[in-house]
Amino acid sequence: MAQLKDIAVVLRSKNAGAFVLTIDVIFKTQQDYDRTVDGGALQPDRIAAAYRLRPSDIQIIPYPKVLSVKVTMPRRVGSGDLSDTDVYGAQQHVPLMLMELPGQAA
Amino acid sequence: MLAATACIGYGFTEIALNRALDLGVDFIGADAGSMDPGPYYLGAGKPYVSPEAIERDLRLLLKAARSRDIPLIVGSSGGSGGAPHLQQTRQIVERIIEQERLDARLAIIGAEPPRDLIARRLAENRIHGLWPELPLDEQTVRDSERIVAMMGAEPLQQALRQGANVILAGRCSDSAIYAAIPVMLGYDPALAWHLGKTIECGATIASPKTGQDCIIGTLGSDYFTVEPGHPDKRCTTSKVAAHTMYENPSPYAFVEPSGIVNTLECTYEAVDDRIVKVQGTTFEPAQTYTVKLEGAMHAGWRAIVFAGIRDPILISRIDAFSRQIHERTRAEAAALGLDAAQYTLTIRRYGLDAVLGDAEPQAGEMPHEIGLMLDVVARTESQAQAVLAKARYIAMHTEFEGRLCTAGNLAMPFSPSDIPVGPAYRFSVWHAMELDDPLEIFPIEIADLDCRRAA
Repeated sequence: MAQLKDIAVVLRSKNAGAFVLTIDVIFKTQQDYDRTVDGGALQPDRIAAAYRLRPSDIQIIPYPKVLSVKVTMPRRVGSGDLSDTDVYGAQQHVPLMLMELPGQAA
Repeated sequence: MLAATACIGYGFTEIALNRALDLGVDFIGADAGSMDPGPYYLGAGKPYVSPEAIERDLRLLLKAARSRDIPLIVGSSGGSGGAPHLQQTRQIVERIIEQERLDARLAIIGAEPPRDLIARRLAENRIHGLWPELPLDEQTVRDSERIVAMMGAEPLQQALRQGANVILAGRCSDSAIYAAIPVMLGYDPALAWHLGKTIECGATIASPKTGQDCIIGTLGSDYFTVEPGHPDKRCTTSKVAAHTMYENPSPYAFVEPSGIVNTLECTYEAVDDRIVKVQGTTFEPAQTYTVKLEGAMHAGWRAIVFAGIRDPILISRIDAFSRQIHERTRAEAAALGLDAAQYTLTIRRYGLDAVLGDAEPQAGEMPHEIGLMLDVVARTESQAQAVLAKARYIAMHTEFEGRLCTAGNLAMPFSPSDIPVGPAYRFSVWHAMELDDPLEIFPIEIADLDCRRAA
């Protein structure tokens, strides 16, 4: 099965403020965007499970103009808090990157 | 207008700066800060770039702005834009003005609101949580090491009206640096703010990505254009359109103190292979003027040790081994009179799950090597070092099932092994506060400097 990393041209995570993590996925082609975003492959419950969060915490906002989708979620602790692992949030895209896309061949 | 760099101290090329000046920019802006590097810099009052790098960038910008008599606006001075950050930047600017024999009317705009005012607004329910909600009480307002407020365009405009030609602002909206002058001159605020947002990260919107650099923004009555200062770089429609997503919870809307800028209906058009034209931004003025408050609280003192684990038997037992370190450190710390509430021990296992924690999708795959960090935070520096020394000894010599390496479990890369990191902070305030007036908490100090005839 294909993973998001196979069809993205940008897949990045970063803090959006000290308590929010935001992940940008920019797709290579309109077709990949359509079947992933409009086809419903990105579901809050699956993303929540990958990040150990509640589905209600996950916001999925399509931005078709640049073939992209934004996934925004609360950080588990504030940036730089004692148990934080990633102050800038720059490496937190990986669970999403490796999520398998149902119905899409690798 | 010219956006010199994403952050004073990250640099730019002189080629790009000179080209922009030759094109006749009307003012120079530069952001100098961010909260991305975490709460330490706000709490400790320190910059996160070197003073040498700040001085290099400011020297070139001050000389450029003063020789052409165009305003220079620096936002979030010193990184976090608090009083010590502003003071450090001011000292650098005054030294450059003296050394280069320049003159300037300098405005210094403070951004640390009085605690009494914050406490009063909190009691009046005029401080609002953002998402996700962070609890805030008066004790936190009083105990935080530092709280800054992010100013909008109005304090910058006020300083310009007072004749300032070099503005050092404390914590400041990045876009406001670029929106202040055009909005004051009557340009469309939607386009002015959107242009500001587009260029505030400097050459982040340009290709190829070879370090930070200048971006030139041009605002018309119903459009704006952006182009790189450097002749070998290009701006493309996709990069410019995608930039509103960057570090923003929404892909196309962003919140400023005076309203919400929406780029959903925008068009992005390539004027040529390096210039992008943007139209169609909308702006919804805010019902209530609010500024973001950012506060950091002291959270103890940190000391760490970093060591390698290569033994495959130990790696296969790493979870039980980690639990043993926690348990035995608790007992040893108690013997020193420190109970578990007086310190935290975080065991970070690089190569295994240190980056993603329990969200690691490949947690079951064992590596051949683990970088083990023992991270202790305690109430005093000496307590942190005492607990760390115990934890390090325990990690080195603790037994585990099947152990053959009875002389030691860790490869220490250097001596001394234990590293004092200094004070630790956490973000304690991350809220929106209502203001009665956009200038209310941003005092402006004007200083006239003239070193043109100095020896």
